Amino acid sequence: MADYLAHERKLTLKVVYYGPALSGKTTNLMQLHTLLRPQRKGELMVLETRDDRTLFFDVLPIGLRSENGLDLRLKLYTVPGQVQHDSTRKAVLSRADGVIFVADSQAAQQDNNANAFDNLADNLQKLGMDIEQLPLVVQFNKRDVPGAVDEDGLQARWRDTPWAPLCMASAISGQGVVESFRLLLERLYPALDREYQLADGEGIDAATFVRQLSMAEEGD
Amino acid sequence: MLGFEDDPQLIDLLPVERQQRLLQLLQALVTQPLSLHEHYRDDAEPVEFNLETLAWLHCPQQPQVQQAAARLLEFVLFYVGKYRLAANLHHDTTEASFAELQRQHAALQASEARYRELSAQLQARVDEQVQVIEQAQQQLYETARLRSIGQLAAGVAHEINNPIGFIASNLRVADDYLDELSAKLPADPACALLLKDFKDLLGESLSGTQRIAAIVTDLKTFSNIDQADFVPCDLNALIGTTCHLLQAESSQALHIELRLSEMPHLAGYPAKISQVFYNVLDNAVKALAGAGTIRVTSRLGGDGALEVIVEDNGCGIPAADLSRLFEPFFTTRPVGSGTGLGLSVARDTMTAHQGEILVHSRLGTGTRVTLRFLCH
Repeated sequence: MADYLAHERKLTLKVVYYGPALSGKTTNLMQLHTLLRPQRKGELMVLETRDDRTLFFDVLPIGLRSENGLDLRLKLYTVPGQVQHDSTRKAVLSRADGVIFVADSQAAQQDNNANAFDNLADNLQKLGMDIEQLPLVVQFNKRDVPGAVDEDGLQARWRDTPWAPLCMASAISGQGVVESFRLLLERLYPALDREYQLADGEGIDAATFVRQLSMAEEGD
Repeated sequence: MLGFEDDPQLIDLLPVERQQRLLQLLQALVTQPLSLHEHYRDDAEPVEFNLETLAWLHCPQQPQVQQAAARLLEFVLFYVGKYRLAANLHHDTTEASFAELQRQHAALQASEARYRELSAQLQARVDEQVQVIEQAQQQLYETARLRSIGQLAAGVAHEINNPIGFIASNLRVADDYLDELSAKLPADPACALLLKDFKDLLGESLSGTQRIAAIVTDLKTFSNIDQADFVPCDLNALIGTTCHLLQAESSQALHIELRLSEMPHLAGYPAKISQVFYNVLDNAVKALAGAGTIRVTSRLGGDGALEVIVEDNGCGIPAADLSRLFEPFFTTRPVGSGTGLGLSVARDTMTAHQGEILVHSRLGTGTRVTLRFLCH
């Protein structure tokens, strides 16, 4: 649920990286922090424990200012993937505007992917949101790992869901990370435009929205 | 209240005294006076946290140090904010978990209370059923006992009826023969004395057989041998004739006060109802032993029942005997003067008329018997 403060002309959005433990959510965020050159970018805040596991969340704020002075901010969060941190996961997921589900491509992790996806649907329902309506991108990470499950099979399996096509990524090398994020921005834009007239009122059309927020180092 | 993800103000991250302490340390480093401002200043450096500008740092003498000082301040605030965010989230999730726990606890308690109530209800129903079964068993036992007594009584009555009949008949014929015989015998005084004694013997025997016949009739009523269809009965008329009968049988004048009110006719066996009135009134007469009054009241009860109340101010019934009043063959009278069937017969007759018989008595004060016919 986007948060708009009229007197400050400030619109804050929330995107959550969800997924099973050790699927690379924090790595996605770190890569975005490295690769993105959006109009405004804050510090990446990582709250990990001693063994590098996320205990609470990570957050990366980015933003843009429209010519009309709209202060649009996007806070990118990760949730802790470990099963026992469900209440933290739920608190972070609360009021999310979009979700990137980071799945693990290793064959042995497919059950964990399914459980985490069920957990996502379950928590969204408890928070009063509908997974079918929420802008959601499914990313299969760790494509570089030997024995990763076949991409064609994955795409075929997800073809009839609202979340096709899937994004393939290798977050450790930064591959597919920005693409996944852009796909989410594209899916996020229509609902925002409907509610806040971004195109008509602020001069931010879909292409501008995606470009301004996801400009990458290479300059593409 | 601030959520964990709401953008904090400077004051949320650092209390005023800490801000000043930090500023003092920075001033010591840059050896220049520094100031923090809440509002935008063109000549000051913004201090940001997560894209949010928290304050403006101003160094009037040496603006070039502003930037480095502001970054140092941001660096400190970043770690303070990190802790603050984690702590807030921890607080939020702990509260949510606790609320969830309390909700589950309340649900569990409610469910436990429900089960406890259910268990109590079930126990109550079991107790109730046990009581019903015990009562039914008692009734069954009582019924079986009464039936066997009734069968015995019916058998005895039947067996005695015939011989007593011909004994009575023979005694009457023998009496006639004695009259004929006395005419043919010589009229000497010894013979006359013998004949008179013989006649008395026969007379006593005959009255004995009559008493036996009366007992047999009681037994038959008690064992329900004679069954006829219900006919409309005028209870007041039956009370009247029963009183006459008693008066006729009694050797002394009876004080019976009748307070009869208009009542609808009752469908029933008139002979048996008369028998009930007779048995109850006979007991009252015997309780008075010659002195006192009997009052008979008939009335329509509030619930539509026909009530006949027989009261006497006689000797009353000892409390110990009250519970045995309706037991067949229970009697306190000397052997030969009562069968102990009077009230059992009365109760059976009342039951047959869907009625009831209630006895209240106080020793030395009197007795009240209430006959209630519930159906008419």
